[in-house]
Amino acid sequence: MISNRSPILRISSEAIFQWVCIAPVLVFLIVVAVAPTAVAIVDSLRNLALTSFSQRGEFLGLDNYRELLGGDAKFFTALWHTVVFVLIVVPIEFAAGLAIALLLDREFKGRRLVITFVMVPTVIAPVVVALIWFLLFLPTFGILTQYMNELGLFRSTGVFSDPITAFGAIALIDIWEWTPFVTLLMLAGLSAMPKEPIEAATLDGASRWQILRHVQLPLLKSLIVIVLMLRTIDASKVFDTVFVLTGGGPGDSTEMLSTFAYRTNFMSWNLGYGAAICLVIAFASLVVAAAFYKIVSRQSERSTP
Amino acid sequence: MSWRKPKLTTGLTAIVLTITVFPYAWILLASFKRHEDLFARPVKWIFNPTIENYVALYEKDFHQYLLNSVIVGFSSTLLCLVIGTLAAYCLSRYRIPAGQHLFFYILATRLGPPIAYALPMYLIFDRFGIANSHIGLILAHATFNLVLVVWMMKSFFDDVPREVEEAAILDGCGPFRVLFQIALPMTYAGLVAVAIFVLIFSWNELLFALILTGNENRTLTAMLPTLVGHPKGLWPQVAAASIVQTIPVLVFIFFIQKYLVRGLTFGAVKG
Repeated sequence: MISNRSPILRISSEAIFQWVCIAPVLVFLIVVAVAPTAVAIVDSLRNLALTSFSQRGEFLGLDNYRELLGGDAKFFTALWHTVVFVLIVVPIEFAAGLAIALLLDREFKGRRLVITFVMVPTVIAPVVVALIWFLLFLPTFGILTQYMNELGLFRSTGVFSDPITAFGAIALIDIWEWTPFVTLLMLAGLSAMPKEPIEAATLDGASRWQILRHVQLPLLKSLIVIVLMLRTIDASKVFDTVFVLTGGGPGDSTEMLSTFAYRTNFMSWNLGYGAAICLVIAFASLVVAAAFYKIVSRQSERSTP
Repeated sequence: MSWRKPKLTTGLTAIVLTITVFPYAWILLASFKRHEDLFARPVKWIFNPTIENYVALYEKDFHQYLLNSVIVGFSSTLLCLVIGTLAAYCLSRYRIPAGQHLFFYILATRLGPPIAYALPMYLIFDRFGIANSHIGLILAHATFNLVLVVWMMKSFFDDVPREVEEAAILDGCGPFRVLFQIALPMTYAGLVAVAIFVLIFSWNELLFALILTGNENRTLTAMLPTLVGHPKGLWPQVAAASIVQTIPVLVFIFFIQKYLVRGLTFGAVKG
């Protein structure tokens, strides 16, 4: 039996349904994202520094932006640190993550449990990751400090009190935390891969390395692009570990974009200038997000023709 | 595959497991140590375990922070699950004008650094007097998890065969009944997995929690770093608090492992 309601009624009930579905999300986004951004834009044009009560709220035009992009040394230092950080951790995480995935890409007893254990660093809270390594690297008493002392290292300095080792430790912790993420995604890609090309290559006498290089990696290409983009985006946002372990120091040696923005707003309480920083960062990440979106949607079109 | 050396791979797997698990295992041990056992030189591997650190946390009204985390976690999960699922279903079934833009904008709120969204929220919530309350944080957590719900649920809805729904429509079902009696039951497992992910991300989140809460409504995660600043160094208690914070997450993760890939990439990769 076909519905005997008139076509006009049918269309309008669907239209109502679409509105009921979309309206809540629109209202929600206006309240929590669009309106706050508008407020931030207005605030970014004003002087809202806690230090200058007399002129608090004064309209500055684009002065905040001019000061920031025109050569705020602290901003460019934080930007530079973030870029170096990303360039160090992402390639290492990718290589190590892929290697571990290749290692685990086989049937063995307790595989599910092993994968859960390997995922521990990625799924626990970043704050806890930071606290764990804080304890391990604690001067004099941390277990890693004690064993490094026996090798003659860090006898008189702490890991986080030297600019170079502090930066290195933050990078090392990020690698520990996020390599399993790469492993998980690469494992998913490897196990979804057709077996025939690998078997054919093995029969032809190809070495393990040749199979990886010429068969598996090309088949994983699209997934690799997504993984690298996600890691680049997330690594550039690093905050929790830096906030807990070094607070950006010693000096400004581990200051990243997000800790710089946090410090300007919630420690110096320079909210107008801070809003300008946040909007510049948000705009830059919008560009990155657009590139990511393009790649992901192109791929899902290809996989579901 | 025969060209693998079984002993070598087992040994390498053991090394990988040691590296990923040891730091966590160490803090688990630390949570059962007395202060003098934890700060012993040389390192003490054998010690007399105690639960005094957990008791001390309880006496410090630690459960209040736990409760705050639970309130914020469940409220924000419910909120973004309801509005996100409706939107995801609509985006999956209909061609909405500007639907693609909406889909992208929701993604953008997650890809940008949280501070860039947390500050504007603080500025506006402060004006409405909800900057130091559960409400502000619930809204914030619902916002940054919305992408997870919309993107993941859309991918689950896309997998539901159209024929089933079309048959129901021919039988006279309205769109609401199709959603609640056919599409939702068929994606139930995915919905539960999404809910767990949102809960975990809210539970683990630091930056919004730091900015949008005061002392009395601080979540467990935002309270953890404050323990470190203590002059006496409350490390055994820090360890115990970290264990309490992480155990529920690890248990949940074990059960939703099947969805881990989708969850960690907000549905961009189907594992």
